[in-house]
Amino acid sequence: MTEHTVRAFDRELELLGRKISEMGGIAEKMLSESIEALISLNVDEANAIIATDLRLDVLQREIEEEAVHIIARRQPLGPDLREIIGAMRISGDLERVGDLAKNIAKRTVALADDQRLPRAMIGLRHMGQLAAMQLKDVLDAYGQGDVERADSVWRRDAEIDALEDSVFRDLLTFMMEDPRNISSCTHLLFCSKNVERAGDHATNIAETVHYIVTGETLPVDRPKTSESGRWIADR
Amino acid sequence: MNDLSITEPATKIAVRNLHFYYGGGKPALKNINLSLGANQVTAFIGPSGCGKSTLLRVLNRMYDLYPNQRAEGEVLLDGENILSPKQDLNLLRARIGMVFQKPTPFPMTIYENIAFCIRLYEKLPKSELDGRVEKALRSAALWDEVKDKLNVSGLSLSGGQQQRLCIARTVAIKPEVILFDEPCSALDPISTAKIEELIDELSESYTIAIVTHNMQQAARVSDMTAFMYLGELIEFNETTKMFTSPAQQRTQDYITGRFG
Repeated sequence: MTEHTVRAFDRELELLGRKISEMGGIAEKMLSESIEALISLNVDEANAIIATDLRLDVLQREIEEEAVHIIARRQPLGPDLREIIGAMRISGDLERVGDLAKNIAKRTVALADDQRLPRAMIGLRHMGQLAAMQLKDVLDAYGQGDVERADSVWRRDAEIDALEDSVFRDLLTFMMEDPRNISSCTHLLFCSKNVERAGDHATNIAETVHYIVTGETLPVDRPKTSESGRWIADR
Repeated sequence: MNDLSITEPATKIAVRNLHFYYGGGKPALKNINLSLGANQVTAFIGPSGCGKSTLLRVLNRMYDLYPNQRAEGEVLLDGENILSPKQDLNLLRARIGMVFQKPTPFPMTIYENIAFCIRLYEKLPKSELDGRVEKALRSAALWDEVKDKLNVSGLSLSGGQQQRLCIARTVAIKPEVILFDEPCSALDPISTAKIEELIDELSESYTIAIVTHNMQQAARVSDMTAFMYLGELIEFNETTKMFTSPAQQRTQDYITGRFG
């Protein structure tokens, strides 16, 4: 796009975009590393992840503050307005992804002494990788203003939901086998829920990217395949 | 469920294939087509010289005051072509009132500023005239500020009050359409807000067209927005759509401040 007549406006928008990219990088790294730390029960790694989250919170505040300043000073319209509103939304999603990763890391610390971990870990790892990939894809789509890529992230979320289902069933079986597994499996259930939510944030970001680029919103209901709720209700 | 609320407003003014010339040579307006909905506020935006004020001047045939200026095409007010030579101009300007950029009160008392205009069209007994003056000042949200000094000169009022006096003068003769040509460009933000509030109220009873250089003002007051450039109508769209995701690249460049 051509430059604004007031070039300071361009610099402000650019700074906003750079901060989103930085947040994206951190959130993506936190998510994939938290899964690896969980699988390997690496407490040091987990503690490092917990510490990183602070930077994400600071960045989110800065982005919100700057977005408010830009709105007050420039009264942005059209694509500029969409970009600023989008940056605010995306920074909120990324901050939440950071919180979820941090929560996985905290649970890793709690789980570290328990060496009897179930097979479900494999599914969980796969879920985590998928969610991290979704996040990476959607951040690239944001960086390049690529609406098709964002849309495909939006559609793909059903895969994570399906995996969550199978992890849920594995963990449930494991708990039924031996009540001593319940404590660790509960942690893992939360971890799997966290990963699933991180995936949801990736689709939120996909919706925002779609809005930023086209000015249109994606439909409210996304194809869902998760059945864990029904599975519990049926039994 | 009835869905009356979403029915489109009836067309008050329809502009069809309008061209306008200030003299010989190039047209100042090229093939303009758009409709102003009844009781809607339509804003016209665009850089200086794009033709938005010219279009407004065509809508009440203000251009007729100047020789050599001519319009081609049709402007239908309730289906009747007002560009027709048979059109009675005094009658037309009573039906389509206009408020200008600079407040133009007459050098007479506040009361007379309004009574004078009413007398041009109607002969009323004093008591009834008083009522009409009060009503006009009230609908221009000026009554409370001037009711104790109706006999002082209109020129003694502040700029914002003068502009509202001009609006009162316009509504006093009960027009159907009001044209605003940058009504707030000489006013401070508080007076501007009062005029905007007034436009909002007036839109319940009148069809309104407003030319403004202030895009945020267009976004605030209008239902529909027309973007004009170099004598052409580039985009005519719902205001919310226009200022969040306009359809045309040139509109987008203009509203985001990326113009040439």
